[in-house]
Amino acid sequence: MKTLKKIILGITAIIFASCEDVVDVEVQEGPKRLVVEASLDWEKGTDGNVQTIRLRESTPFFNTNTNTEVTGASVVVTNDDNGAIYNFEDQGNGEYLTMNFEPILGQTYSLRIEYNGEVYTAEETMTPVTDITNVFQDRKDGFDDEVLEVHVVFTDPEEVGNHYLFKFQREGDLLPDLEEGKDEFLNGNEIDWWYEIEEDDNTDIEPFKPGDVVNIGMYGISKSYYDYIKILISQLGGVGLFESTPVDVKGNCINITNPENYAFGYFRLSQVVKTSYTFVED
Amino acid sequence: MNSKSQLNPIIKCTIWLLWSLFLGCMSAIGQTSHTISGTITDKSNGETLFGASVFLSGTTIGGVTNEYGFYSVTAPEGKYILSISYMGYNELNIEIDLNHDMVYDVEISEFSTALEEVVVMADEPERVILRKPEMSVVKMNIGTVKQMPVVLGELDVLKSLQMLPGVTNNGEGTGGFHVRGGAQDQNLVLLDEAIIYNTSHMFGFFSVFNADAIKDVKLYKGGIPASFGGRVSSVLDIRQKDGNSKNFELNGGIGVISSRLTAEGPVFGDKGSFLIAGRRSYVDLLLKAAGDENSVSFYDLNLKTNYSINRNNKLFLSGYFGRDAFKLGSSFDSSYGNSTGNLRWNHIFNDRLFSNLSAILSRYDYDLEFAQDEFEWLSSITNYNLKYDFKYYLSDAFKLDFGANGIYYDFNPGEVNPTAETSPVNPLKLDQKKALESGLYVSAEHKLSPKLTAQYGLRYSAFSRFGGQPISTYANDRPVVYNPELGIYERGEATGETNFDKGDVIETFGNIEPRVSLAYLLNEESSIKAGYSRTAQYIHLLSNTSSVTPLDVWTPSGPFIKPQLSNQYALGYFHNFKDMVYSLEVETYYKTVDNRIDYIDGSDLIGQNTIETEILNGEMRAYGLELLLRKNEGDFTGWIAYTLSKSEQRTLGGTAGGPGINNGNWYNASFDRTHDISLSGAYQLNDQWSFGTNLVFQSGRPVTYPNGQYVYEDLSIASYSPRNSDRLPAYHRMDVSINYKPRKYQNKRFKGEWVFSVYNLYSRKNASSISFGQNLETGANEATRTAIFGIVPSLTYNFKF
Repeated sequence: MKTLKKIILGITAIIFASCEDVVDVEVQEGPKRLVVEASLDWEKGTDGNVQTIRLRESTPFFNTNTNTEVTGASVVVTNDDNGAIYNFEDQGNGEYLTMNFEPILGQTYSLRIEYNGEVYTAEETMTPVTDITNVFQDRKDGFDDEVLEVHVVFTDPEEVGNHYLFKFQREGDLLPDLEEGKDEFLNGNEIDWWYEIEEDDNTDIEPFKPGDVVNIGMYGISKSYYDYIKILISQLGGVGLFESTPVDVKGNCINITNPENYAFGYFRLSQVVKTSYTFVED
Repeated sequence: MNSKSQLNPIIKCTIWLLWSLFLGCMSAIGQTSHTISGTITDKSNGETLFGASVFLSGTTIGGVTNEYGFYSVTAPEGKYILSISYMGYNELNIEIDLNHDMVYDVEISEFSTALEEVVVMADEPERVILRKPEMSVVKMNIGTVKQMPVVLGELDVLKSLQMLPGVTNNGEGTGGFHVRGGAQDQNLVLLDEAIIYNTSHMFGFFSVFNADAIKDVKLYKGGIPASFGGRVSSVLDIRQKDGNSKNFELNGGIGVISSRLTAEGPVFGDKGSFLIAGRRSYVDLLLKAAGDENSVSFYDLNLKTNYSINRNNKLFLSGYFGRDAFKLGSSFDSSYGNSTGNLRWNHIFNDRLFSNLSAILSRYDYDLEFAQDEFEWLSSITNYNLKYDFKYYLSDAFKLDFGANGIYYDFNPGEVNPTAETSPVNPLKLDQKKALESGLYVSAEHKLSPKLTAQYGLRYSAFSRFGGQPISTYANDRPVVYNPELGIYERGEATGETNFDKGDVIETFGNIEPRVSLAYLLNEESSIKAGYSRTAQYIHLLSNTSSVTPLDVWTPSGPFIKPQLSNQYALGYFHNFKDMVYSLEVETYYKTVDNRIDYIDGSDLIGQNTIETEILNGEMRAYGLELLLRKNEGDFTGWIAYTLSKSEQRTLGGTAGGPGINNGNWYNASFDRTHDISLSGAYQLNDQWSFGTNLVFQSGRPVTYPNGQYVYEDLSIASYSPRNSDRLPAYHRMDVSINYKPRKYQNKRFKGEWVFSVYNLYSRKNASSISFGQNLETGANEATRTAIFGIVPSLTYNFKF
């Protein structure tokens, strides 16, 4: 179903060479908020002891200032099932680090952040992911059957309710691409997930070519994180006429001191499988 | 507002209406008078004329013809001049001696084919309009539509209507239309009485109505007559031509996007006529020729035929079939379209009682094929409608409309079928829903005094949702639950299902819908009118996008979705001046709609079986002022329309808890337009050359812009302002057209005409949307404007013989 948006855009583009240009627009300025990027990702086959949490602040939309790091906060993660406590050390650059985290599948963890006299908390469960069984390249699939795409093959576990986050990034590209998936229509099947980069007239971004290396991450995510990241992804790159009205995406970090001043971002615990693929001549 | 306080005024209203009806009936008894009745048709092609006025000169006795051209006028015995007039036609005056009941069929001719013996007079036609309580109505002659410049030379009834006050669209390239701040699915669109669920081709660039097959277009923006029901915003009543009953005729046109051909002529001797009209686009052929694998096309076919059994019985059969097809490479194939059919029987019981029985079928469906994922997706809505309407011309002062109808709906919201063994997709069929919507109405047009006329009526509508499917039950009966900690709406916890068998009724709704309007004649040139109408809508279009798409699905009211109920109040002033050459219409309205659904953040409607977990019940309100100044006659005709309006929506948390969508505050509907000015003009230089122009200025569409950004997952994520609190830049453009009829054809049977038009003459880049995102190379945020049309010139050749 991720295809629907692209299809509609594609169709409108075919009918009329509708023109796009970059314009100056004045936008409103919202409140400055804490941004929590607490992604405790446990790569399959590693011990997952080293984990980083990033704290930043939001800025006006067109601001190019990247100096948004938040320092001086206290960051603690607790395993609610066994009571283990992990203190994340302030690295002075917006990063908070621990070297002794112990990820356990299915267990619930809590995050507590104290910053500027306000306390933020969040709760999440470590979610497993299935293995990638095959990665290959092809041309015939995708929206454009002439360009190369990478295929990631995996078998969805039998029980209903698996959710996935995919992260694709070609080496040398500035930005990664995120895609989300769930097993609603595909439960228990072997799934072939493809990813391609389409020709873009407005930039110099080109489709995959032999020699390109693409890094792939497949994350097992909770239902609530899926709901969150789905909205976030759908609003990336802006929304057009045939999409929902954009909204502030609210994560799971609650400001218990002042609920109005909620934080952006999410406290996520995911098992992840990572791989990379080098395109060859076909 | 609780239901009790709402019901009280309705019951009072009902009693008052019944009392007036009774009085009206009484008043008709005991007069010694005679009736003259008949049909008014166009002299050149035999088409019946709807809305022609038939008056006894020097009196206020008279009326207008109905949809089938029938009139009936009752007056005391005596000698009169029967005066028949219709916009764009020569007025006809006939001396009659009304000493017995008479049947009198009349043919009138258009200005352009004027007969010399007929004196053109213009004092009668508008009189009826002033006296008739009918208000908030737009009638558009297909001739007017044909004079207006259009994009890519495709005549478009819906775009022409948008040049009038109170009617807007949701931006270029979007389907449908919005009336007085109402949503698109709140319009009842009828083509020969059959419901059209999707009014556009190519996502809204063109309408499904082929102008060559259409006789007239009537839009009720408010004051919807009791004979219509089922939608809360407006009724667009489009009637197809019957076909030329005098001569065989071919009409056609060759345009940039599509070509058309219409054939019509007499059949069954002199007892009937037929019309077949076809239109097909050929962008796909060009794409194919250019070696492009993508393809887009549409076609439509209109059919109509009628047969007169005798004077009092006539049968009509009409049909419409239209389809759009899209193909994206080898990966995606889709098609969608409407199909309708209608068999009608006109029966005249006597010179005062006219009836029509219709059996109507409509269907809208789409089919998506995903080749590489090896599955297809089908969805449809089908309805069967039986309708019996009567018009009783009791006396000159009192006319009664009454009737009944029943619509049986069959909803297939979606089914997924794998198309190959290897497909990764599992088969799925969403619950098939069935329902019956029935209506019963009576409505009177009552001349209370020479200056005051009232139209009042009642409609009782009922809706039953049938079983044959399970209905989910939820913890605490809440399909949507507010999570106060995270401040978001979440899907409720399903606790089980209640099964309903095919014969079971899941839920039934009933509503009394009073409709009242009054016209008071201030003097021979002006009148004031006031109206109130209450309407109910039982089916809803599910769409959580800014603009409706052809893939949105209709759903019936039921345990979780209540019928939409609307109240509309309108007040208007109507003035004809300079010998009726000019007319001025000023109207204000206030409208509320209860039970308008809106969607929770992140709602997922695709393949969704439990819609109730994605929605909240809200309300709408809209108000505005409309001005329309027209010049109706002369070489130069046209109008200026101005609308000042507001349309808002509010969705509270209700049983789900929490503040609701947008924190429970009112927000602008995406079709809210503060200012909307349209100017349309046509100038006839001589019998060869004519010119047309449109000028449009509108406030920008309400949108939601970002109000901040933050870094997450190495990406810049936008945060957003309150819903629809920003606006796109103002929309404006100018179009011109030139019509040229070469002189060499003027006395020949074959007639040709060139239409050259330029849409968006000064090539303004009107933003259809502005999207915000990161530049993929620099990473900086930027705003990208999408403008659909720059300057679009086009050339069309039309012919007729």
